[in-house]
Amino acid sequence: MSIEHAQPYVPPVLHVISANIAKWGNPLGLRKRDCTSWADSLQIPTEGSIILHTGCEYQLTPYVQPLRDVLKRVKFQDTLLSTTSVIQRITKTIGLDLTKIFAQVSKRERETFDRLLRMAALTLSKLGVNFAYLKEELYAGALLYEHGLFEEFERQAYRVAEQFRKAGATRIIALTPHAAETLQQVYPRFLSNFDFEVTTYVSVVADALARSGRRLSLSQPLSATLHDPCHLARSLNLTEEPRKVLRAIKNLELKEVASNRELTVCCGAPGELIYPELSELLASRRARELADTGAEAIITLCPFCYASLSQGARLSGTKVRVMDFIEVLYQALGGSDVRG
Amino acid sequence: MSEAKLLFQKYAERLLQAARDEGIFRAISKSVANWRERKAKALARFPDTVELAREVRRLKENSLERLDELVQQASRTLEENGAKVYQAASADEAREIIGQLIGTDKVVVAAKSITAEEVGLRPYIESLGNEFWETDVGEFIQQLRREKPMHYGLPSLHVTREEVAKVLTGSFGREILPEASAEVRAIREFLRSKYSKADVGISGCNVLAADTGSAILIENEGNIRAVTNAPLHILLVGIEKVVPTLHDAFKVAEVTWRYCGFTAPAYLDIISAPSATSDIEFNLVRGASGPLELHVVFLDGGRRTLAQNPLLKEALYCLRCGNCLLECPVFQLAAGYYGDHGHLGGIGAIWAAYVTGSLAEAAPLAYTCLRCGRCTEVCPLSIDTGRLIAELRHTIVGAAGG
Repeated sequence: MSIEHAQPYVPPVLHVISANIAKWGNPLGLRKRDCTSWADSLQIPTEGSIILHTGCEYQLTPYVQPLRDVLKRVKFQDTLLSTTSVIQRITKTIGLDLTKIFAQVSKRERETFDRLLRMAALTLSKLGVNFAYLKEELYAGALLYEHGLFEEFERQAYRVAEQFRKAGATRIIALTPHAAETLQQVYPRFLSNFDFEVTTYVSVVADALARSGRRLSLSQPLSATLHDPCHLARSLNLTEEPRKVLRAIKNLELKEVASNRELTVCCGAPGELIYPELSELLASRRARELADTGAEAIITLCPFCYASLSQGARLSGTKVRVMDFIEVLYQALGGSDVRG
Repeated sequence: MSEAKLLFQKYAERLLQAARDEGIFRAISKSVANWRERKAKALARFPDTVELAREVRRLKENSLERLDELVQQASRTLEENGAKVYQAASADEAREIIGQLIGTDKVVVAAKSITAEEVGLRPYIESLGNEFWETDVGEFIQQLRREKPMHYGLPSLHVTREEVAKVLTGSFGREILPEASAEVRAIREFLRSKYSKADVGISGCNVLAADTGSAILIENEGNIRAVTNAPLHILLVGIEKVVPTLHDAFKVAEVTWRYCGFTAPAYLDIISAPSATSDIEFNLVRGASGPLELHVVFLDGGRRTLAQNPLLKEALYCLRCGNCLLECPVFQLAAGYYGDHGHLGGIGAIWAAYVTGSLAEAAPLAYTCLRCGRCTEVCPLSIDTGRLIAELRHTIVGAAGG
């Protein structure tokens, strides 16, 4: 058969992701508890008109690098069974054993990201923003849409919208850029009556800070550069909000990289499922570029950028450390330790 | 292993190998820096170009709606002007038409044409027993290196001057110093010796006006003027290039060269007919100092099908300025290895799926795109490649059987 008429090849990892989302509500099959235990020690209501939506993304972050490592080994050794969606069968076929991946990730690594989630909730509270969170949180489905799995995406979008409705929500604070973009810009194209107001964490805290006039200060001086996440900068046009907050922090020196704002460069994360090595090369390149500003730290606002740039910094041998905007803001508000 | 999977795997290996080659990133970084600076200057001197680009987008949208009508009008006008016109449904047909026009034992010179690359013209014409020379400096370097063009405007942007000197020294049999000026001089001497012997000149065009049948070709090197002056000129045109009027065509051309960093190009070739004179008793005689014959081949090659797709047709608005490629994070690491059939980068995936390609060939490109949106930011027509890629992947997943 000539290539013009051949069936295209679709890497089977997409079907694993898709099957997990259908069954467990998130791409890697994290269980309910893994997604919501971060909030155990906080008394956050589970119903209300304003919902903080984490989309399980921070919860997935510790598994990103182990997954990439496995995918680098698997390469193209699958047999062409990609049409079946029986997850165990695919898992066996391509050697993508998720339980092994989970086993590699220590409690400490998971705790790093659960702490970020608690900090996100606490910063909102400190700034006087009331919100609820969902006891059974679902991933918003960006990966499904991005990879062309539209029917699966639509089903997930429907489930997510139902949850919002049941919780009595009118307004969603999306914690991550991917979720914010997906809920705000893609859901309305797939769902006929998705009428929730979708905003992002960074714009909510920027507004609240401007209103409250609270002073922000770090106890130790820090020089940092800001990595604009692509979807935050280009789809959501939120380039000034994070800068307004960071510039207001005493003891924080912001060193801009030349390719910033709308011309920010991808951290490599979107390539990790299909081209994991390329994804790492992209991550190294971006980490090096950011480190060349001379900053001690890279601040970003997306958990996938966080994971990718951390790996990029390791691989490129730079001393720069990666921080989330949430923890910088939390510290600047004088927050203390937030163990669960 | 299925052929489609093998194709995917081979592509992935080449892509990764290129991305690991730090020389490519270094060379491209220099080109990108120079390109940005030049483009910023040109746009600062002509700030109205930004608004003109918006107008050109609308113009391309409207032209594509009237594709068949405009191609018919252009064909009719060109025939009236004294050109011969051909309609090629596929790349194979285009190659055959051009092959028959050229025959064998000819010296053929060619101006850089993405469409010629798309149909695989050079290897085919060479296989018929002809001598074929690329005349764009970058493309000529790529020909000597036996590599495909790596960028629409800068085909050899990943090659350092040291590597250029090496390949020229090897090909010309004398030492060429690794200095851009010495290299260009050597290439100039070689090419000028070929222009005078050329039987056939082949070119594409940037845009073609239906009302006057005029093709506009933008250039700086002066090679296109030489190529299109050969006794027989063959113009290969993708049908998406046709716009209603010559006035429209100028707008498209101006936006194209401005976003390539030029206030004005050195030369603008406007070709509507073969050369002719009426100087003897006002009798029209075709063939004066210029070409005796002009042959225009309109190529569909899947463009009509793509033009019917309500969302993906946006890819056909592309002016091929190449800004998207230069600012693409993957392209910056891997150059044109992120491509197939001369279709490059994320937007190239859409072309590869419909225009002289297939879904199986487009799949590895489609999954390379990061959907980071940087290309849209720098595209004069704001083509939303990220959205198109999601849509294309949906089509690919459907064709792969779920």
